[in-house]
Amino acid sequence: MPPPGRPVSRRSFLAGAMLAGVAAPTLSGVLTSCGTTAHGGASLQIPAPDHPVRWPISTAHPAIKPGLRPQRGSTLRIYNYASYLAPQVVKGFEELYGVSVSVSTFNDEDEALTKIASGGLSFDLYFPSYDSLGKLVGADLLRPLTHDYLTNITNLWPQFRNPWYDQGWRYSLPYSVYTTGIAWRTDMVPEDIGARKNPYDVFWDPKYAGNLAVIDDWHTAMGMVLLRNGIYDINTTEPADLRLMRTQLNDMLDKTRPRVTITMYNDLPAGQYGLCQMWSGDVVNAQYYLPKGQSADVLRYWFPQDGRGMVDNDLMVVLAQGSNPVAAQFFINYLLDPKVAARNFGFIGYQPPQKSINPSELVADGFLPKNLSTATVLPRYFTEGVRLLQLPTAADTAYHDIWQEFKAGG
Amino acid sequence: MSTARAAGVAEGGSSRRSLVGWWKDPWRRPRLLLGITLLYLLWSLLPVLIAVLFSFNAGRSRTSWQGFSTRWYYGDPLQSVWQDPSLHTAVVHTLWLGILATAITIPLGVAMALGLDRWRGRLPATANVVVLLSFVLPEILLAVALLFVVTVLQTPLHLGTVGQVVGLVTYQLSYPVVIVRSRLLTIGAQYEEAAIDLGASPSGAVRRVLLRMLLPAIFASTVLVFADVIDDFVIVRYLSGDASTEPVSVKIYNTARAAPTPALNALATVLLVMSLLVVFVGHRAYRYFTRGERDSSGIDVFAGEV
Amino acid sequence: MADRAAGSRTRSIWPLLAIPGTVWLAVLFVAPMYVVLAILFGQVDPILRQPVPVWNPAHWDVSQFDYVLRHIVGPDGFFGPALMRTLVYVLTASALCLLIAYPVAYFTARFAGRYRGLLLAALISPFWISYMMRMLAWVNLLQNDGLVNKTLSLGGLFDVHVDWLGGHAGTVVLGLVYGYVPYMILPLFAGLDRIPAGALEAARDLGANRLETFRRVTWPMSRQAVIVSMLVTCLPMLGDYFTNDLLSGSPRTSMVGNLINESVLTPGETGQAGAFVLLVLVVSLLPMALYVRASRTGAEIRT
Repeated sequence: MPPPGRPVSRRSFLAGAMLAGVAAPTLSGVLTSCGTTAHGGASLQIPAPDHPVRWPISTAHPAIKPGLRPQRGSTLRIYNYASYLAPQVVKGFEELYGVSVSVSTFNDEDEALTKIASGGLSFDLYFPSYDSLGKLVGADLLRPLTHDYLTNITNLWPQFRNPWYDQGWRYSLPYSVYTTGIAWRTDMVPEDIGARKNPYDVFWDPKYAGNLAVIDDWHTAMGMVLLRNGIYDINTTEPADLRLMRTQLNDMLDKTRPRVTITMYNDLPAGQYGLCQMWSGDVVNAQYYLPKGQSADVLRYWFPQDGRGMVDNDLMVVLAQGSNPVAAQFFINYLLDPKVAARNFGFIGYQPPQKSINPSELVADGFLPKNLSTATVLPRYFTEGVRLLQLPTAADTAYHDIWQEFKAGG
Repeated sequence: MSTARAAGVAEGGSSRRSLVGWWKDPWRRPRLLLGITLLYLLWSLLPVLIAVLFSFNAGRSRTSWQGFSTRWYYGDPLQSVWQDPSLHTAVVHTLWLGILATAITIPLGVAMALGLDRWRGRLPATANVVVLLSFVLPEILLAVALLFVVTVLQTPLHLGTVGQVVGLVTYQLSYPVVIVRSRLLTIGAQYEEAAIDLGASPSGAVRRVLLRMLLPAIFASTVLVFADVIDDFVIVRYLSGDASTEPVSVKIYNTARAAPTPALNALATVLLVMSLLVVFVGHRAYRYFTRGERDSSGIDVFAGEV
Repeated sequence: MADRAAGSRTRSIWPLLAIPGTVWLAVLFVAPMYVVLAILFGQVDPILRQPVPVWNPAHWDVSQFDYVLRHIVGPDGFFGPALMRTLVYVLTASALCLLIAYPVAYFTARFAGRYRGLLLAALISPFWISYMMRMLAWVNLLQNDGLVNKTLSLGGLFDVHVDWLGGHAGTVVLGLVYGYVPYMILPLFAGLDRIPAGALEAARDLGANRLETFRRVTWPMSRQAVIVSMLVTCLPMLGDYFTNDLLSGSPRTSMVGNLINESVLTPGETGQAGAFVLLVLVVSLLPMALYVRASRTGAEIRT
């Protein structure tokens, strides 16, 4: 037990408090000089398929000169989702160029952005989605790409040479394409979810209470609520739509107690739940996480036949804070090589937009089992599907508030 | 009085002992309490033992036994603790944090304990209160506060090992202070006075008598702080930088929610063995230094209880 | 005793020894709380939504704090349930801990005899086992195909498929109890150990039965130890979020620690995390002061 001491008298406490009160404003002057500078008032451009954007080239962080090679023995720091890069692919790069690669992971892009913005970390390569591109460019966190290093772009689907979110591919290249649908196990869910009139309704069906999960990403989960109601503008800022999302999300909590996670690729095969919102790549990947003796036949995936579901692609960008931009761009180019891309696809399950990988032949080529052929991402989805776009600040706050309420449990 | 006598008499003739008599007997063996205690120990330690067992599982499952193998420690080329670079790094980083944080906390804490004990006044009294508060504060408050400091102020502190060590020292500082102060209280000033009477200088008395007598408490707090630091989670997670600064506890947390293999159990077992080794060595040293003193089994000091 | 020590009062070595630690705590424990306030009452950068601290109290902006307060109670109050839930879980878990820890500590203090050291070592061992590992052990056991379900099915006799990890309050509370009960056993043991055996024997000799002895002698003498151990267990539990994360993936069992964890790294919500930190600090100040007072009184009784 701690020994007795003289108790703090009220007078000394008040004196101390007064002193602190006087010191605070004077201290504030000192501290302001120590603080980080807030990012200036550059306005936020929001790209959309019908409103393409060509980003300004950064002046503070110019593109690196062509003709360099990665230094042997240097380190490449990658910042990515967990299990989103095949270890053999990483090892292959290390052996090819003598560069040691360190992969750090994040759970969601909000957290990643905060860590990157804090400045102390110096990652070289980052894998965001295009809805953060505006923020990253606006805050001057990216280094423009030097096209001379990225010759393998010719292997990609042609539409990615001039995407609407990054005209002239100044800052980014696509990494994977995916759809967001509903996956289930036939041994835990007796019905064919895809045969329902509105498959999204299943998340509010009390029959499956405690047996389902939604993706722990605010925009993805909230987009699904909108799609359920036939609202195809999943970036809507209408107050009525926001109210609808709020009500229905809380309703979901009451009716079915969903789990909220991004580890469906492990949990569904492990049998922790029978039904979930899932990314197409995860359901392909899930077949490798099934326990011994369990056949992959039980997995099913549904995505709207007309293609009007959520379709997106992830990107690769070079961060300005990194110290090894040469190796970063060599790595991007390495990932775009058809053989490497195929090997990576085999591990992560997410389809790369490679010309050499024919979406209509994924089943025949052995990438997908027949029961998961619906998890293929077809190029036509990119014209018919809906995208998760960046939101203007006020709407972004409103969406986040609703999500916070959902995560607080009601 | 008569009831007790009667019960005592009844006890003497064991063949006539009734159940009620047995229950009422104040001197019977405490079988119920013994049962509860053993049950508790089982409940407390069995899950951990099972987890350690499954770290030797030959298959990928953590729930069905598929044979004995050490592949998750050494054999598996991609995922074992020895070969997987991220798991490997986590163990090394954890040890490093343990050593650094303990090496700073103990001298700082012991000095502070000595100083606060002898120095009278308002400032040391306030400092004492602050130390006690930091002893019971929920860890997440300190972790968030330090995260804010590190991310918004331009200081030498940054995310990663430096931030983690600083956070750990701040959180653990109260342990040596509290333990050493209690020991000081028990020792009292008579040994120092005797040394001074016999001709030692005041600082010599402190160095050669007091510190020598404090060695057991210092040892105990070193072991305690080390074991606490290598198991710490909240502070090191918020103040971690990239993957090379994630200790074992964060690795377990991240991977347990994603795609765990028995390598995770193996990782935790490695940490467990390290902890136990340190405690064992520390306890032996403690016993050595307190030999000859009565009432010093000392094992409870190793959990912070004085 | 104080005579010779009084001579040391004028020596400067003692303040010199205490100053480094005091300065460390002042700069890295007390001052960061002001940074939390500066962020809570500060601004948010428009592009990345990162917090911008405002140091001068005269320029503080209460909108973030106001947002949190407004959403605690009332029609919009979605933080309220999580806060209430935290209190309920913590109090329930602490009560259960006491129910388990008291008999165990009592047995160890009074009846362990020559096995006392061994028993203590076994009781203390959870301190040296990582909290994460202990929770991981339970996650393994509670999975749908884990040992708990297998045992309950009695090897195929029944078909038990309880979804322990599916977002149940009971699982979380039991997880908290499992995690924190070792913290309670030690102080209870120390306190019960101090009750002189003579007092209990005297009570027995005077005719009190077991229940009366407990009620009139043991319990009053152990009350102070119970208070201290409850506080040492309750307070850290308030900030727990990882037990809920590991044992339940559902927002239905989220605690205030989860609220802090969700908002601290979300752009635009960092200030709210500061508000929750402040709230937990204020709520735990009273128990912390109680602890400081109780530990002082205990020491006075002993010496």
